[in-house]
Amino acid sequence: MALDAVFRDQWGRVLATLVGILGDIELAEEAAAEAFAIAAERWPREGEPSNPTGWLVTAARNRAIDHLRRQQVLTEKTKLLARDIEAGPQPPEALMDDAAAIPDERLELIFTCCHPALALDAQVALTLRALGGLSTDEIALAFLVPFETMSKRLTRAKHKIRHAGIPFAVPPDHQLPDRLAAVLAVVYLIFNQGWGGGRVDLAAEAIHLGRALAGLMPDEPEALALLALMLLHDARKAARVRDGRVVPLDDQDRTLWVKGQIEEGRALLRRAMARGRTGPYLVQAAIADLHLQQPRDWPQIAALYGTLARQTRSAIVEMNRAVAVAEIDGPEAGLAVLDRLDLGHYRYFHSTRAELLRRAGRGGDAHDAYRKALDLARTEPEQRFLADRVAETAPATRTEPL
Amino acid sequence: MQYALLAYSPPEETDRAARPIPGGLAALLDRPDVTGWARLHADESATTLRNDEGTTLLTDGPFIDSKEYLAGLILIEADNLDGALATAEELLRETRPGTAIEVRPIINGRLRGA
Repeated sequence: MALDAVFRDQWGRVLATLVGILGDIELAEEAAAEAFAIAAERWPREGEPSNPTGWLVTAARNRAIDHLRRQQVLTEKTKLLARDIEAGPQPPEALMDDAAAIPDERLELIFTCCHPALALDAQVALTLRALGGLSTDEIALAFLVPFETMSKRLTRAKHKIRHAGIPFAVPPDHQLPDRLAAVLAVVYLIFNQGWGGGRVDLAAEAIHLGRALAGLMPDEPEALALLALMLLHDARKAARVRDGRVVPLDDQDRTLWVKGQIEEGRALLRRAMARGRTGPYLVQAAIADLHLQQPRDWPQIAALYGTLARQTRSAIVEMNRAVAVAEIDGPEAGLAVLDRLDLGHYRYFHSTRAELLRRAGRGGDAHDAYRKALDLARTEPEQRFLADRVAETAPATRTEPL
Repeated sequence: MQYALLAYSPPEETDRAARPIPGGLAALLDRPDVTGWARLHADESATTLRNDEGTTLLTDGPFIDSKEYLAGLILIEADNLDGALATAEELLRETRPGTAIEVRPIINGRLRGA
C-alpha cells in the first residue's frame, strides 16, 4: 500500500485511540499529525513497521507527553499519561508487540463527532477530519467554503466538545437508535454531497466511513443497509454522465456499472434484511437494488416508496413514489400524486414533473416545467441535459397560415 | 462537570411570584445533583447596567429583549454533556409549553446557600 493510503487508513484508528488516552480531540490531533509527519520521514527510509497503528500511537503519545511536560497542564484526565511521563517516552518499537491489543475506538470518536449538540455542518466537517483523515483544506474545497471558515468551524466544534463535555463514548442502548440515526445521516449527507462530482471524492469518503461503521457495528441492520445503499448508487457512477450530460437510468450503459460493487451491496442488503428489523436505509437500499433490475418491478418499488414515505414523512420520497405510480397507472396518475406535494423549491420536482407531463403529451406544460428545473439546476451535466429537454419541448414556430 | 441550566419561559398572564413551584419541579430541584437554583421575577422587574466605555448606562428592562424571558437558573453536577442534557430534559417536562432550557458548562464559580 502506498504511504498515503496507509496514512488515510490509519488516521481514524490512531486519532481515536489518542482521544481515548488524552481525553482531548485537539491535543490528540496535534500529536497524531506530528507522528504521521515523523512516519512520512522515517518509513520510506527504514521500512514500514509491522504494526503501523502501534507505531503511530506510540509516537503520537510520546509527542503528547512532550507537549504536556512543556505546558505543565497535567489534569486528572491524563492519569494514564502521568504514569508514562514518569517513565519517559518510549521508542515506538516498544509498543509494537502489544499493539494488537490497542482497542479500536473509532466508534466512540464518530459518536462524539456526530453528537446532536454540534451543528450539522460541524458534525460533517469533524467526521471528515477525524475519521476520514481529510485536511481542513480538502474539506473546505469539498463544501466550497473559504479555508478560514472551515478552519473556524472545526476549531469551534473541537472547543465545544472539550468545554461542554461532549462524551467520548458509544451511547447507552436507550439513546442508541436516535444517535445512530444522526451518525448515519452525516455519512449519507457526505455521500450525497459527493454525488455531484466535486474536486474531492466525497462519495468515496462516505463509502469508506460506511465501511468502517458496518465493520464496527456488524449487527446493526441500518449501518449495513446504508453501506449497501451507497455501494449500489455509486456502482452506476461511470454510467451516469455521458458527453457531459446526465443520463437517465433506463438509458445508461449497463456495461459501465461496477458489477463487484453491486454484488457487495446486495450481499450487505441480504445480511441487513436477515436481522429482521426494518429502517429507512434498509428500505432505500432495497429500492436501489430493485432499480438495478431489468425489467423493473414497479409495483414493488411503489410499495416500498410508500413504506419509506410513512417512515420518513418525506415529500421527496412521495415524489419518487409518483414516478413508480406513473409507470404502473400512467403519467396522469403520477402527476395527480405530484400535484399534492409542496416541493416548488426542489429542482428535481420540476424535472420529474416535466418528464411525466412530456409522457402525458402535454408538451407546453412540460416545456415550462423543464425551464423551471433548468433555473434550479446546480451542476453542468444536469444543466446540459435539461437544456436539451427544454429545446426538444419548445413549441414549434407556427408555419401554418393564420 | 458543573453545568448551568438557563430556563427561558414564554410570557404569562398571572403573577409567577404568587405561584408555588409545581410539585414535580420541586422534587427535581431537591435532587443531590442539583447544586443550586434561583427562580427569577418576571422581566418587567429587570434593570440592566451597561459598561459604555467606562460610563455606566442604566436601562429599565432585560438586556435581551425577546418574547421569552430568563425565568430561572439551575446549577447541576453531571458526568458529561449527555448527563446534563438528560437532567435538563427531565426539568423541561415539568415546565409550561414554550419553555426553553439552555445548557452551559461552568468554568468556575461559587454559590452560597440561598
